[in-house]
Amino acid sequence: MRSVLNKILTAMRGSVNELGEAVVDSQGNRILEQELRDSEQELKQAKQELAALMAESASLARQIRSEQDSASKREQDARKAITAGQEELAREVAERIVGHERRGAELTQTREILQQRIDSIKERVQRAEKQLADYRRELQVVKTNERVLRTTAQIDTNINSQQSSLSTAKETLERIRERQAREEDRQTASTTLEKELTGADLDEKLKAAGIDGEQDAIDSVLARLKDKPAQ
Amino acid sequence: MDIQTLTLTLGDSTHAGRTFDVMPIAGEEPVLQVTVSGAEETPVYVTVTDTQILCLAYLFEEQELLPQRVNELHDNMLRLSVPMPLSSLGKTGDHYVVYGALSPTSGAAEIMQELVTLAENAIDLLQTFEDYLA
Repeated sequence: MRSVLNKILTAMRGSVNELGEAVVDSQGNRILEQELRDSEQELKQAKQELAALMAESASLARQIRSEQDSASKREQDARKAITAGQEELAREVAERIVGHERRGAELTQTREILQQRIDSIKERVQRAEKQLADYRRELQVVKTNERVLRTTAQIDTNINSQQSSLSTAKETLERIRERQAREEDRQTASTTLEKELTGADLDEKLKAAGIDGEQDAIDSVLARLKDKPAQ
Repeated sequence: MDIQTLTLTLGDSTHAGRTFDVMPIAGEEPVLQVTVSGAEETPVYVTVTDTQILCLAYLFEEQELLPQRVNELHDNMLRLSVPMPLSSLGKTGDHYVVYGALSPTSGAAEIMQELVTLAENAIDLLQTFEDYLA
């Protein structure tokens, strides 16, 4: 990933903004895509192999258990034969037990070797998955970068063909200020209109001229009370 | 959401009291110029790829800046980029941009929210960084 990011930065600093001068050359892109496909293929194979080996391991486990079960069953038979004084029969059964135990041990050993292979393939799968995620991320960065460059070039060409040039930040700011002033004017106008409609502006004017209806009312009530004091 | 669906959806939608004016930009790449009502000065450009919907608005060009204050501006841009909602600051070619990337599975409401936020942020950023212009 770091190498891809460095390539992009180096190319950018070299002022390679022209369309067609792709930042990471398309050859590099193809190599990355090929690596991605190879990794995907390897991962697929490793997973198939893993599944087959795990099935084999499960089958071996079953066989081992079956040998162990047979051995313990025969042990009971042998004990019964000994109790019944059938020494010859007991010996014959003991031979069978040895056979089961030997096969069980052999199968266990095979399974252990198999288990080691499974572990190593699991590790391989994990590595491949990580690698694949890395490639995908790299490819995404490269492709997005190219897309952004092509897109901005397209926007510039288009705007340049419509207007004399892309408007400068100062011109944009001027337009923003004009609009904000217009909005403010509209706001002031609507507040004024509202005051006129509710008569609030007249009350304000009267108050400013020292004519306060509310104060007058209080004064007249007070005067009335003073005229007729409590008896 | 592909570019055609987006064009049709934005054309007759309102979001948070805003309307959208959509104009396709001619060329090989599917690009839309979206003007958000109440923030007409800073159009947002939208392009849809397999992995993301990229929305960006232009701020200023390198040559418009006071050269002696560029480092300070960069520092401020990096600091502001983190807390700004749904927008990051960046540079493509000589253009400084404010942009946001959405998942291609985003719905109309998310995209409209992004467009409104970007257009407003672009205005706020221009006014904030006005002192750095030559």
